[in-house]
Amino acid sequence: MTNDDRYIEKTPAHFNQERKRKAEYIKPPNTLKAKVGSGGLSEQILQKAQALLENNSVDFQPLAEMYLSSLMRGIEIATDPNTESDTESLISGMLYPSMQLKANGGMFHYPLVTNIADRLVQFLEVIEEPDIDAVEIVLAFHTTIRAVIIGKITGTGGRHGDELMGALNEACTRYFERYPENKTKTPQEYGVEF
Amino acid sequence: MAYQFHRISVLVVEDNQPMLEITKSLLVTFGVGHVIGAQNGEVGFKRFCEYNNDIIIADWMMKPMDGISFTRQVRNDPKSPNPYVPIILMTGFSEKRRVLQARDAGVTEFLVKPFNAKDLYKRLVQVIERPRQFVRAPDFFGPDRRRKKIKGQYDGPYRRESDLHSAEILKVLQEQQKEAHDTLKRIREKQGLGKGDKFNIESDRT
Repeated sequence: MTNDDRYIEKTPAHFNQERKRKAEYIKPPNTLKAKVGSGGLSEQILQKAQALLENNSVDFQPLAEMYLSSLMRGIEIATDPNTESDTESLISGMLYPSMQLKANGGMFHYPLVTNIADRLVQFLEVIEEPDIDAVEIVLAFHTTIRAVIIGKITGTGGRHGDELMGALNEACTRYFERYPENKTKTPQEYGVEF
Repeated sequence: MAYQFHRISVLVVEDNQPMLEITKSLLVTFGVGHVIGAQNGEVGFKRFCEYNNDIIIADWMMKPMDGISFTRQVRNDPKSPNPYVPIILMTGFSEKRRVLQARDAGVTEFLVKPFNAKDLYKRLVQVIERPRQFVRAPDFFGPDRRRKKIKGQYDGPYRRESDLHSAEILKVLQEQQKEAHDTLKRIREKQGLGKGDKFNIESDRT
């Protein structure tokens, strides 16, 4: 091996990389604007669309049951001592169905499901490990959402809904007081502009 | 004069049938002339190649191909009839990390579920009235990601998700982290504080 070869072997690859960020900017023709013109939509049309959304007769129960079953599968895998999945996959197995419950509840007259599932998503987004106590909390969320669906509690659930949310929030707070090391150090921000 | 939505076609890619139907109905109520549905990213791309729609609205979580992979295919596949087409990504995620992930895949707008009619309309207005220039870089093709003005000059290296793959940038980040740890250690030692105690960071500047 020559000295040059040794030098190349020792030199980290990034010293030889091409310069990054050599970007080309392209302004595509705005054909969309040319087609639709200007003026927007009238308030009347927007109200009609909103009414259509609010009066949809979709039965959320079968959909919710599907996501709840998927969440339960995620819980079972996370508590299986013989699981071969990595931490990220274990959390994702519970996070994705929770996100679907959050996304769809409010679309189909169950905003309380959205609120509860949103809190669950926030919890799953910040835990580092799905330990047994964390999974217990996920199970409590699952039970609560299931009760809301079976009880057909449409709307926000009023005072009872607030109490349920309060109890679940407290469970999360207590968990992080007990296991502060299991909370990610990355700051979380929600509802950010794109 | 109102928008002539009847002149455009929109592709909705969503695996949840009731959600697909509702989104399609909203678009029809807005007056969109042609609304096409697809059950996942794979079917969505086929439909897009067939109809070359003016706008795409896609869900994130789908199987076998999700909204992020679908977006990448629309932007980068040579078969794509229009890599510049506006893509609105619908999802229940609202955490910043997820938004940035979608942005880095080439998504034009982000629509958080559950949404109302006005939310959807606002995203449509955004892609019509504020089209974004495109950027072609070695590791990215898509709408320009610099929409927000950053206060002050930012000289740091970490801006994109892909930056974390660069050994050079990782090294800089590790150095920054080490420096921050040293600063905290110095403050604690100076003030006789333990690891969990609160302290005033300004005290290091005096």
